[in-house]
Amino acid sequence: MPLSARGRQIAGDLRGATSGVSAGVLGCDVVRHDELCVGCGRCVSACPTGAMRQDDWFDPAQLFSAPAGTGRGALAAALRRIARHEPSGPFRVPDRVRTFRRILFSADLCAGCGACVRACPTGAVEASPVPVGDLEVAARGLAPAGVGT
Amino acid sequence: MNVPVVAEAEPTAPAVAATEVRVAQVRVAQVRVPEISAAGVPVSEVIADAADGERSIVAFLCRECAYSAADAAGNARTSLPPTIRTIMVPCTGRVSPLHLLAALAEGADGVYVAGCLEGQCHHRVGNFHALDRVAFVRRLLRSVGVEPERAAMFTMSAADTPRFVATARGMDATISQLPRLPRS
Repeated sequence: MPLSARGRQIAGDLRGATSGVSAGVLGCDVVRHDELCVGCGRCVSACPTGAMRQDDWFDPAQLFSAPAGTGRGALAAALRRIARHEPSGPFRVPDRVRTFRRILFSADLCAGCGACVRACPTGAVEASPVPVGDLEVAARGLAPAGVGT
Repeated sequence: MNVPVVAEAEPTAPAVAATEVRVAQVRVAQVRVPEISAAGVPVSEVIADAADGERSIVAFLCRECAYSAADAAGNARTSLPPTIRTIMVPCTGRVSPLHLLAALAEGADGVYVAGCLEGQCHHRVGNFHALDRVAFVRRLLRSVGVEPERAAMFTMSAADTPRFVATARGMDATISQLPRLPRS
């Protein structure tokens, strides 16, 4: 994953970081599962690099992919019973409704720290370890200057 | 209590079979999938007594304001539209989009939330939250081709019985002009 200018700046602030380190610099690739996301924004407040962003729009189509047994699934089931047609495009969410919002994730700002994974109440954000080869690169990048080679 | 067809609500029950709901079990913070119920009866049964072809409207009334107004209307023997079914909630801030949509899906033709006047919520901001949630539900309904007028929010003071009666009749008039909801 190439880093954006902001990502490079953040990676550069890490001790001993070198340029050319991928976004998995801190250990994991972040994968989002939209169907589980409730749009609460906890990942946004947990994210140290601003890779997660909550916007003011909600796409009702996202509701319909929610698994049964969850609150979202119940909402989708109720809506499906009375729907006259497939949900049409996204609409703006009123101010005080703080969930039901789209979460935008920019992979090139992500430092791979996994804070969003721990913050997510529904398990919608998953961290997968980076491949071993990348880890070695990351380890070299993270080692304090002058220690190890 | 002489309010016509007013059932005391218990909308904060945890996700257990509605017939087993007891007041002692209510833990608002731990609700997972809220089941709408009035006095332990699921909302589908609350509105089941509607005759064929008759509309039913579920009203969520704030305990502090709108319910008092409804109670006073009942004490004054004011006639309300027979379509109105009321459910008391501790605060309109408790009403979630799922409550409104589940009521519509279970057979109601319209839902409305009646709470305290702006700035006079007993829990400070509950009615503002309800206002935005109803707005959200209206946009959700419009996005699937359902008339947004089926969900509404009204505010009134506890003493404002005429306004309660007027909103109930107004809602009844609005809903009676809409076609029946498709239910699959």
